[in-house]
Amino acid sequence: MSESTQDKIISYLYSKLPQAKDLSLSQFVQTAVGWSHEIYVFYAHWKEAGHEVTQGFCLRKDPGVGLLRNLSDLKEQYRVLKALEPTSAPTPKVYWYEEDPTLLGGPFFIMEKVEGEATNPWSKVGKQFYAEAAKRGRLPRSFIEALASLHNLDWRAADLDFIGVPGPGTEFALREVAKWESLIQQSLRKPEPVLTEVLMWLKANAPKTQRLAFVHGAYRTGNLMIKDDLISAIIDWELQVIGDPMYDVAYVLSDLNREGSPLLSCVVEREFFIDTYQQLTGLIIDFDACRYYEILYMMRSTAFWLSASGLFAEGKNKDLRLARTTYSVPVVLNMAAKALGF
Amino acid sequence: MLFAHRLLEEVVTSLRNVIAPAIAEPYPKSQAYMAAVILEFVSHQVEERQDLNDEKTHTLNDLFHDLSSLLAGKAPDVVVGTTDQEARLCRLIEWLYTEKDRLGPEAFTAANQRVRAALRQLLDQELKIAGTKE
Repeated sequence: MSESTQDKIISYLYSKLPQAKDLSLSQFVQTAVGWSHEIYVFYAHWKEAGHEVTQGFCLRKDPGVGLLRNLSDLKEQYRVLKALEPTSAPTPKVYWYEEDPTLLGGPFFIMEKVEGEATNPWSKVGKQFYAEAAKRGRLPRSFIEALASLHNLDWRAADLDFIGVPGPGTEFALREVAKWESLIQQSLRKPEPVLTEVLMWLKANAPKTQRLAFVHGAYRTGNLMIKDDLISAIIDWELQVIGDPMYDVAYVLSDLNREGSPLLSCVVEREFFIDTYQQLTGLIIDFDACRYYEILYMMRSTAFWLSASGLFAEGKNKDLRLARTTYSVPVVLNMAAKALGF
Repeated sequence: MLFAHRLLEEVVTSLRNVIAPAIAEPYPKSQAYMAAVILEFVSHQVEERQDLNDEKTHTLNDLFHDLSSLLAGKAPDVVVGTTDQEARLCRLIEWLYTEKDRLGPEAFTAANQRVRAALRQLLDQELKIAGTKE
């Protein structure tokens, strides 16, 4: 974003903070993360009723063509975060949603800048950070407690059913398969027989959902803000659904999110996770369902990478990280093939 | 003239050791490192691409030959008649699952196992480019 964009944000903040005087921004950074949205973090300073105020903000903007294409809905994310505010789930407070694309070039919303870091678990530094935190013991428990806070949530009471409620039986799993298949159909540039086999297996083997819960959809380190070894906020709200809580559990149990670390999500021991999660939620982990969802995640990852590399090939996004993902497709399909026994 | 892969290696080395470390801004820095990663993959692709196409054609021809015996003419024309070999295989896989009950468990399993063996071979070829170095 250019400097003039900062000016536009200042003008926007003035419109939302009519008592503010001498408003300025500092530490304005576009973060390198966020493939679906442009994310800007900054501090705003202003004077109000004789006092000086400083507030950290995070702005999430729709870039027009993001990784999830039409599956990502910024307004829904804002509404979900708003609905979660009065609950025990640790989430950032949201302030304003702006639909008018003329202000910044696309819809956006502004939320609080939560204190803490969402350390990337894939880096050497990140792996070390999580391994050391695991030894201290506070973060692994907080990791499980935050997940349990989502799965124990009364999502109807929180008015979260607007995001869609699947019917009983296999409908949730089949809806997820159909959702990601639609992204694949938008992105596919050549036939992928291995992916076809994975998709057909998923359709033929969908598990029944035992209990519907509010599911994050990408619950892992890197999507969690951490301060003083505690989860200060669950972030990256793009994939949330009402569905099978085993969908999140499978993501935690998956090898996809630990890249060689012996710890789940690089931070929690498997047995401790299983015991504590079951204790906090009263749910019994269904390992067969988790195995199914892990393969579904591999299909979903393939959909992400096909979409990303497709966007680059189509000239819609010049981020080289998207081009690199074309080489990730056979790697993740190989994981799925091995999981299916070939 | 240097070989293409050598030139690419030089670019990769420069990107990784000279350019990227000198960049302070996180976004352009990540772009420089990612360019190095991509060029390494491209280097493999340039050397091995024709071999892979030959192997793929061979694998698919063998598969369809075997399946014609295994399925004994049960596959519909829409599967048999498609000219793009990989598109043809996709349709065949869909057809196998759709017709699973009609085919019966024995025929389905035999055909599915043969398909999966071919998919394994196709994946192994692709992983020669995309697989990370040990």
